[in-house]
Amino acid sequence: MNNVFNIKNLDLFYDDFQALKNIDLDVEKNKVTALIGPSGCGKSTFIRCLNRMNDLIPSCKIEGNIQYHKEDIYDDNYDVIGLRTDVGMVFQSPNPFPMSIYDNVAYGPRCAGNKNKDKLDKIVENSLKKAALYDEVKDRMNDSAMGLSGGQQQRLCIARAIAMEPEVILMDEPTSALDPIATLKIEELINDLKENYTIVIVTHSMQQAARISDKTAFFLMGELIEVDETDKIFTQPSNQKTEDYITGRFG
Amino acid sequence: MSNKRKRIDLIYQGITYAAASVAVIVLSMIFIYVFTNGSGLLNFGLITTDYHAKFYNSGIQEVDQFSTAPRPDNLGEDTYYSEKWGIALADSEDREGKLVITVEYVSEDSPLKNLMYDKNSEDEKPIQLEEGDILGTIKFNDKGSALSIYGAKNMLDELDEEDTFREMVFYTKGGGIRGSIITTLYLIGLTMLLALPIGVFTAIYLNEFAPINRFTNILRSMIEVLTGVPSIIFGLMGLAVFVPLTVKYTPADSGNIISGAMTLAVILLPVIIRSTEESLKVVPDAFRQASLALGANETQTTFKVVLPSAIPGILTATLLAIGRVIGESAALIFAIGTAIKDDISIFGKSTSLAVHIWSLMTDEPANIELASTIAVIILIIVLALNLLVKLVSKKFTKKFD
Amino acid sequence: MTEIKKQITRFKKKFNFNSKKEVIDFLVRTFFLLSTILSASFIVIIIIFIAQKGVIPFVTDNDGIGRVNLWKFLTGLDWLKGTAFKSNLYGVGFIIINTLYISFFALLISMPIGVLTALFIAKIAPKKIAEFLRTVVELLAAVPSIVYGLFGSGLILTLVYNLAKIFGVQSKGGNSVLAVILVLALMILPTITALSEVAIRSVNKDIEHGSLALGATRTQTNFKVVLSSAKSGIFSAAILGLGRALGEATAVSLVAGNARSGPSLAFFEITSTLTSTMLQGLKETIGIDYDIRFSVGLVLMVVILFSNLTLNFIKKKVGNVDVK
Repeated sequence: MNNVFNIKNLDLFYDDFQALKNIDLDVEKNKVTALIGPSGCGKSTFIRCLNRMNDLIPSCKIEGNIQYHKEDIYDDNYDVIGLRTDVGMVFQSPNPFPMSIYDNVAYGPRCAGNKNKDKLDKIVENSLKKAALYDEVKDRMNDSAMGLSGGQQQRLCIARAIAMEPEVILMDEPTSALDPIATLKIEELINDLKENYTIVIVTHSMQQAARISDKTAFFLMGELIEVDETDKIFTQPSNQKTEDYITGRFG
Repeated sequence: MSNKRKRIDLIYQGITYAAASVAVIVLSMIFIYVFTNGSGLLNFGLITTDYHAKFYNSGIQEVDQFSTAPRPDNLGEDTYYSEKWGIALADSEDREGKLVITVEYVSEDSPLKNLMYDKNSEDEKPIQLEEGDILGTIKFNDKGSALSIYGAKNMLDELDEEDTFREMVFYTKGGGIRGSIITTLYLIGLTMLLALPIGVFTAIYLNEFAPINRFTNILRSMIEVLTGVPSIIFGLMGLAVFVPLTVKYTPADSGNIISGAMTLAVILLPVIIRSTEESLKVVPDAFRQASLALGANETQTTFKVVLPSAIPGILTATLLAIGRVIGESAALIFAIGTAIKDDISIFGKSTSLAVHIWSLMTDEPANIELASTIAVIILIIVLALNLLVKLVSKKFTKKFD
Repeated sequence: MTEIKKQITRFKKKFNFNSKKEVIDFLVRTFFLLSTILSASFIVIIIIFIAQKGVIPFVTDNDGIGRVNLWKFLTGLDWLKGTAFKSNLYGVGFIIINTLYISFFALLISMPIGVLTALFIAKIAPKKIAEFLRTVVELLAAVPSIVYGLFGSGLILTLVYNLAKIFGVQSKGGNSVLAVILVLALMILPTITALSEVAIRSVNKDIEHGSLALGATRTQTNFKVVLSSAKSGIFSAAILGLGRALGEATAVSLVAGNARSGPSLAFFEITSTLTSTMLQGLKETIGIDYDIRFSVGLVLMVVILFSNLTLNFIKKKVGNVDVK
């Protein structure tokens, strides 16, 4: 087995409220893992544990063990900045920086200390190409990113993440703010990306999970009910709750 | 993370720490400067005495009975006492820093308790030499005058040799700020009387009644523009509009407290309107609807439901406004004038504490010490008001949460 | 009595009032509207009356002294220098330049300090220190300008005087361009800090998280993403700060030194601003020396208006095209 993340006995609390309960999950390399479940089930909270974005919430407390390549990322000496360069993230609504398109993509490498103009040019071009955005923006790289459409902005955010050459890309409902056509483009993009990247995606749409993922994990009330091959989850789930959910009996 | 990156981060963070410390340093420097220069004169006498000294050229009738009181024990080392005349004198500095002779003590049976008002006047009303007065000159009948430049000891020695004198020149200490304090208080009262109702009514209209249309927007932005007008421009308006107005309809003949208060009222309107409106905005609509549903009309709803909820905003506005009145200088230099007075009438010339400082600073030479003392008073009041505002808003913000 | 009742009924009919309550509502509403109109009218009163007085020197012969030439007034490089009672004594050209020059440098000093302080308060400082600093900034804003003037003419003048000595320049007791710049920089610092802090705090959290998720450090995020996202708010702070610097009067007049000709560009030279010029010659209550103050006031208002418009124009440009 080739696992990127190994999560064991993960509990997460916001003050007294327990948002995640005893999660065990392995994330496989170069696979798309989809996290589904009704809203408030903890799937977004879970994905934010993987690059320690939950650190930003002061009331958040984590117990258990998350290993990234066999290293505990919640260890006190763990290099969070390094983790976040290896594990990129795309957010629910597009959040480009108020800078030019070029600067948006070059931002991460620059922050990491890359100052070489030629190298940056290459990184920006490649990242935009991989995010299937290059052709649309190649003539206006110095225009503000705020002028792009929502779908373009989200692909720019993906390009921005790719520019760091991450191993994993976390996507937190990346299409929830987009129209169907833009959504389709992002889904195609995810299909292309999984050759080179490991993707963990939270989605509110079961169809989306079925279309793009290899493995699906079903969360409910902070618990991981079931995780399996996507085909199996959607055809013969082993848990009654999963079946109820995917057949639309609740949620 | 590489060490280089950590170092750069630390440098950047350090810069923000340095920038933030500027504000703290500036504030403490202002305080230290003003307090070290001003605290020397700060006492109760300062705020109760007149600014202008009163001069007396007094004479004395024949003395039947000289004083017999012994030297009081509480007099300082450098104080000289004459048992014959029952007075103690000392060398000291006045509020302008000049060397003078001050009267430290006058005994009960001192003949100097019974002086003639003026050696030339026919006014029979006797006057007294009092503690705190400054002794200028004593002119004798048959020898040279005793002048204050020779010091307190010399003056007492000269006086002890004689049984009478032709003229004693003395004056009250002066340099007090009683007049300017009274003017400032008048200004606060009158300004609030003018600005509060207009401001609160305007805020209520804009928030409760005004239809959403162009006209309202224009009114709003016209009021908003006022906040950007520098106070010296308001001063010009006071000079061009309110001074002539008060001169025409009141006994005033130049800038006066009323014209000053009117000018300040205009300056404060936007502050009061905004603050009141902000507290009106947080009143939930449900309150208004409930009141209207109970059959109350708009007026009743406004005065009984909406207005009480706006009280914290009005209170905040009042406190801020008082602070602004006390601190305002540029506008008042034009709208009241810079004359420092002791007898205050709302129609007459006088000036506020802040302008008092300006007058002292533009004098030649500038009286920095007294100016700093007034600044201490202004600073303490203004800062106390600001902290009070914080307290008020903290207390009331929880109300509708 | 019946007559009044009749009147009221007629009044009610005319306006379709059904009850006494509605009449009261109408009257109160009208009264409040009148208050509002009064509040709004003051800006018009200010402009009309100052303009009316301010044009007198240019359109009358000023009691025999002669008409002031508007062009010479606006471009003149001397103020009340030469033989008294001449109409050609008044030139504010150099004073306008002085005022803009000084305000520009005050802004140049205050902006970086203010914005960085704001960043520190909003993003870097621990909660308690942030709260403390916020209070400090509020108190600085509350210190009246006359106290800044006192502080300036006591401490900053001494400082500038000694600094000038080090440079081998004999300054007039420290009264100088530099002293005015420093005093103004201190005075606009709280305005800029407070407004920038609001702008920085209202930056969308998503954008910050986006930067952090890319492996940028907190500090990198603050300096590269947060500041550039708050750009437009920070620019508004600069506009307000500049307005305050241009219009500040008493403190400036105590440290400027009242130069009668110029422009004063060297830092240790004495200078004069539009406001300090207005505060001169207060004894006059009539005649050209009285009226000309309104003309200067008019110039000040126009200068503030134009600098506001210019900065707003730049702000729009900067808002669209992103500067690195």
